[in-house]
Amino acid sequence: MATKKVTYNEAVSEIEEILEKIESEELDVDELAEKVKRVSVLLKICKDKLLKTNEQVDQVLKEMEE
Amino acid sequence: MQQKLTLFELSQKIKDALQSAVPATVWVVAEISELKENRNGHCYLELVEKEGNEIIARARATIWSYTYRILKPYFETTTGQYFTHGIKVLVQVSVEFHPAYGLSLNIKDIDPAYTVGDMALQRKEIIERIQDEGVFDMNRELKLPLVPQKIAVISSKTAAGYQDFLNQLDNNSSGIKFYTHLFEAWMQGSEAVPSIISALDRIFEYEDYFDAVAIIRGGGATADLSSFDNYDLAFHITQFPLPVVTGIGHEKDDTIIDLVAHTRMKTPTAVAEFFISGAELFYERLTGLEEEMVRITRERIDVKKEKLEEFAADLHQFVGGFINKKNRQLLKTGNHLHQQVNRFSFNKQYELNNLRHDLHAAFSVWKVETKNRIDSRKRILKRVVHESLLKETSGFNQLKGRLKHGSVRFLTKEQERMLRHENTIRLLNPENVLNRGYTLTLKEGRIVKSVVSIELNDEIETRFADGKVKSKITKKE
Repeated sequence: MATKKVTYNEAVSEIEEILEKIESEELDVDELAEKVKRVSVLLKICKDKLLKTNEQVDQVLKEMEE
Repeated sequence: MQQKLTLFELSQKIKDALQSAVPATVWVVAEISELKENRNGHCYLELVEKEGNEIIARARATIWSYTYRILKPYFETTTGQYFTHGIKVLVQVSVEFHPAYGLSLNIKDIDPAYTVGDMALQRKEIIERIQDEGVFDMNRELKLPLVPQKIAVISSKTAAGYQDFLNQLDNNSSGIKFYTHLFEAWMQGSEAVPSIISALDRIFEYEDYFDAVAIIRGGGATADLSSFDNYDLAFHITQFPLPVVTGIGHEKDDTIIDLVAHTRMKTPTAVAEFFISGAELFYERLTGLEEEMVRITRERIDVKKEKLEEFAADLHQFVGGFINKKNRQLLKTGNHLHQQVNRFSFNKQYELNNLRHDLHAAFSVWKVETKNRIDSRKRILKRVVHESLLKETSGFNQLKGRLKHGSVRFLTKEQERMLRHENTIRLLNPENVLNRGYTLTLKEGRIVKSVVSIELNDEIETRFADGKVKSKITKKE
């Protein structure tokens, strides 16, 4: 799941790039749908990362010595 | 003769000389190298003066408890600095010399302004040194991650500020998830610097797991900020690979670590707010991007829709025009064809008529000619037939005459021959012969014409005209 490892920066850059593309280029409807889908996926990844607990991170932190 | 003095006498002389040489009280600049309070509230110190690292002067000093009770809080509130070892002070002292205890300085008063100035100077020197080393901005130039979500905290576990910090992060209104891990350290006193550096070193081991470091300290009672004006700690922070955010709870001028840290906040709560607002900003940005996407996409789709409708209208028009054009062309072609066909058929009709005429004429000629020919043949034939008939008839008549004539003759001749034959036949008839006396001999039903065929004793039949007899051969001659 390569997409899971997208950083916030990468995600936002990609989203902005896609939005620019949608706005400036003549995309056909299929391409448009594909782009929108990708943006939605990236937004979801970011929101999940922001709002949902990542058990792995929790576990790593717990295991650290103080 | 040498004058002999006892130790006491000598001490007394020194004391006298000291008293006349030094005023009753004097302001002295020194560094506190040791400091002890005893249970009576008296304070015992060691004062030194250094040249580089070398101590060039050292003296014991005391502050009696009634003085110490007033001086200590006065100094600490004015300087924001613990009255402890390692600081430079300007003190008013009386020089005491006791024959039994030696030289000692009794501190009567203290001027905090000197220490403040000295600290400022020290601070300035440290800042200049860090700047000269070119590292001053190194931590400040680090890029804080878009969302500082994983935070290494340096604090003391029991500090109120630490709990405030955690509560603030956990209860943020956007529901953003933060991850923290505490790296405990002393936040005041002489242990503070090494213990904070050690905490930084431990965080360094886990560098990849964190977005930022928070150094926080609760308000506490009296602030001991000297730890945070320390060169070693400041240097460590400048070299640290993660952005450091400070919240060490003071309203005064920034300490050096505040200056070199990536971000300086006043309190632990403010540090938490800083992280939260960063994350919230990002969250808002996401929401903005989401709205933007919806807007742009809708816009795009609207444009497409409009275009499509335009196309549809254009197509309608185009198809209509096309059909009309084709219709007209078809009609024109039809007319043309009609005309052509008419002309063609007219031409052909004309040609046909001509041909028919020709044929008719030719046929008439042929017919007349043929009729003539046939008539002439007929006439010829008729004549020939007539002639041959005439010829045949005459031949026939001739033959008829001849046949008639010949027949009569032939018949007469034949009649005569018949009569002759009739006579012969009558004469020859065996009955007639028998009648004339001749007999007929038969043996076994056959006529016997010779004696050869008759043997002795053969029975023979002899026919007469009026009957027959049987006889037996008796003799043969």
